[in-house]
Amino acid sequence: MDDIATKLKRPRQLHAPIHAFRGSPDFWNELEWDEEQRIQAFTDNFVSVGAHIARMSNMEEVAGFIGNKAHELSAKYLIRQNEQALTDLGLEEQLPNVQVSVWNSAPDVDWRARAAEADIGVVMADYATAYTGSVTVLSSPEKGRSVSLLPTVLILIIPLERLHTRLGETLNRFDEAGRAQLPAGIHFISGPSRSSDIENDLTIGVHGPGIVYGLIVG
Amino acid sequence: MSQPGVMDETVKSRAGLALNDDFLRKAVKFTTERLRNGKKAASEEHGNWEEWRERGRQIRLHTIAHLDYYLNEFVNNARANGVHIHFADTSAEAASIALDIAAHKQATSVVKSKSMVSEEVHLNHVLESAGIEAIETDLGEYIIQLAGEAPSHIVIPAIHKNRYQIAELLSKEAGEVLEPDTTVLAGFVRKKLREKFLEADIGLTGCNFAIAETGSMVLFENEGNARMVSTVPKTQITLMGMERIIPSWADLEVMATLLPRSATGQKLTMYMSGITGPRRSADADGPDEMHIIIVDNGRSLQLGDPEFQELLNCIRCGACLNACPVYRHIGGHAYGGTYSGPIGAVLTPALNGNIEEWNDIASASSLCGACYEACPVKIPLHDMLVYLRRRKVEDGHGNKLETMGMKGFAAVAANSKRFALAIRLGQIGQKAVVRNNGISLKLGPLKGWNTYRVAPSLAKKSFRQQWNSLDQELNQQQHTAMDTSVRERMQQIVRDRGEGGSKHGK
Repeated sequence: MDDIATKLKRPRQLHAPIHAFRGSPDFWNELEWDEEQRIQAFTDNFVSVGAHIARMSNMEEVAGFIGNKAHELSAKYLIRQNEQALTDLGLEEQLPNVQVSVWNSAPDVDWRARAAEADIGVVMADYATAYTGSVTVLSSPEKGRSVSLLPTVLILIIPLERLHTRLGETLNRFDEAGRAQLPAGIHFISGPSRSSDIENDLTIGVHGPGIVYGLIVG
Repeated sequence: MSQPGVMDETVKSRAGLALNDDFLRKAVKFTTERLRNGKKAASEEHGNWEEWRERGRQIRLHTIAHLDYYLNEFVNNARANGVHIHFADTSAEAASIALDIAAHKQATSVVKSKSMVSEEVHLNHVLESAGIEAIETDLGEYIIQLAGEAPSHIVIPAIHKNRYQIAELLSKEAGEVLEPDTTVLAGFVRKKLREKFLEADIGLTGCNFAIAETGSMVLFENEGNARMVSTVPKTQITLMGMERIIPSWADLEVMATLLPRSATGQKLTMYMSGITGPRRSADADGPDEMHIIIVDNGRSLQLGDPEFQELLNCIRCGACLNACPVYRHIGGHAYGGTYSGPIGAVLTPALNGNIEEWNDIASASSLCGACYEACPVKIPLHDMLVYLRRRKVEDGHGNKLETMGMKGFAAVAANSKRFALAIRLGQIGQKAVVRNNGISLKLGPLKGWNTYRVAPSLAKKSFRQQWNSLDQELNQQQHTAMDTSVRERMQQIVRDRGEGGSKHGK
């Protein structure tokens, strides 16, 4: 660091310099959409990259939607995060022919392998951004990074009150929380895994989930 | 993935090879147009693009100007998160640190997501000579790894391959014939690399941004392979250029606004991941151990250099490549270094600190400034190319004939009588070669120019030769007195000139 300071031709900077241009421009931070605009923008963005959107009024509808999808796709394995809201869906009882795993719910299980074999992954969004059509998921012992990454189909459940206008509304939370409170993995997901590396031809599902559903609830 | 001896050829001969490859030219043109139009649409749709660019520039300028503070803050916070931090002065050092970690872990395979720094470091080569399999997992990078080539574009590395060539490469790997169909080919790669992700001992990533205040590293990607590499293997190694720092997550919103739009025209890449340390002890995935290797490799040479410090502001979006008329014609390999296009033309000699060896790349530009216009953080690349050329000449690496020519011109043009004489001689001399008001003779110094163009002839009567009659005409017209402030300014210029200020443009 001393070396860097020498090259910058000044003594070592030991306390925080004044950062006059922190974050987005002021005019941007004023942008605030109402609920309908947020839903519309999120839907348009999500659909434009090849993901699917459905609007639900409650979690019973969500349970029904997932059940139908599992039948429709003849899913054999499903993995979900270990969250109360997902336990309440009652997927295990509803889908007797599907092996439903609950992330990190038992010791000595190779949970990465469980996620890798899964046809469907079910995840709750921690936050969502309408302007970019992105869902944010945070890792924890109960919430695996693999669940939103390894299955072929990803179902993201987005409670309406977690859907915000700008990316900054989510990002600023991490500044406020501070280093020690951050989870190991924070992931923004904006649609299916994709690539245009072969002759600019769009391919979906290169490594991550190729089919993504966003269910806006509320 | 180095191309040894590539500098034995000049950029002209490498470009010659590229220009003969019709497919390459068309592919590069098509892709760069697509990306450029995508960027244009995305930045227009977002609006206030100039304000965002300026904000991006200010954040980068501020961070680099206080790099000692922010890098130190990042390192302290990352260590507090449980990350092992390593510093590498040179690319060789970075490679040997990575190799040490791999040896310590008794690793037999490493899966890699996209990292331009690892290309600088020639890491695949180093790992493979130690008997460790290194697998590129970005679809395009995987293809060119199988072909044994280097990437030709920052964002679309296999821009120069068609699907028949790709099918051939992948069929060899599959042991069966794969159809040249994008879905089939990508499907094969998904299956093949899935196995590799799950088996690999080490995941290696690059780093788009590093957040000083929380010690987090941020990755932008579309395929999901960077998430795989940083989630599945037990050990994660991240190679990071020392200038990748931004202060806060709030600043990330600006970078997330500029980078994907500038690179591909997307509002955000399909995945943006912020990784803060290895997995927490109760987590069931994520790496057990995380290493970040902070690489200098010539970057710090730019610090404190008024002409080149802004190079460190670069966010590696590739927009300057797509905007560059030269890149669009010759493609990335003709530049010969890890980084191509306008940014490569400046960055390669700057990082290597050896202007002489890489000198001809600086000449592969028309100095039109399209790169500056495209740059989301407003790096004046076209000015830097001129500085490079100047340094090259100052160091005595200029073209001898060109220098003689310039000196001769200076001697003639400095004296009005000599200049007038030269013009008269030229007007008489050119009569033999002028056709249709142009000179198409391909001889001597005119050969290079006239192979593709026609040089203009000297005017029959030059401006100076017309001056006497023009002056008379002006005097005959009743013109109002010159504005006093204009007169004042012009007189000042004449006085300054008298004081020995003979330099142009000062």
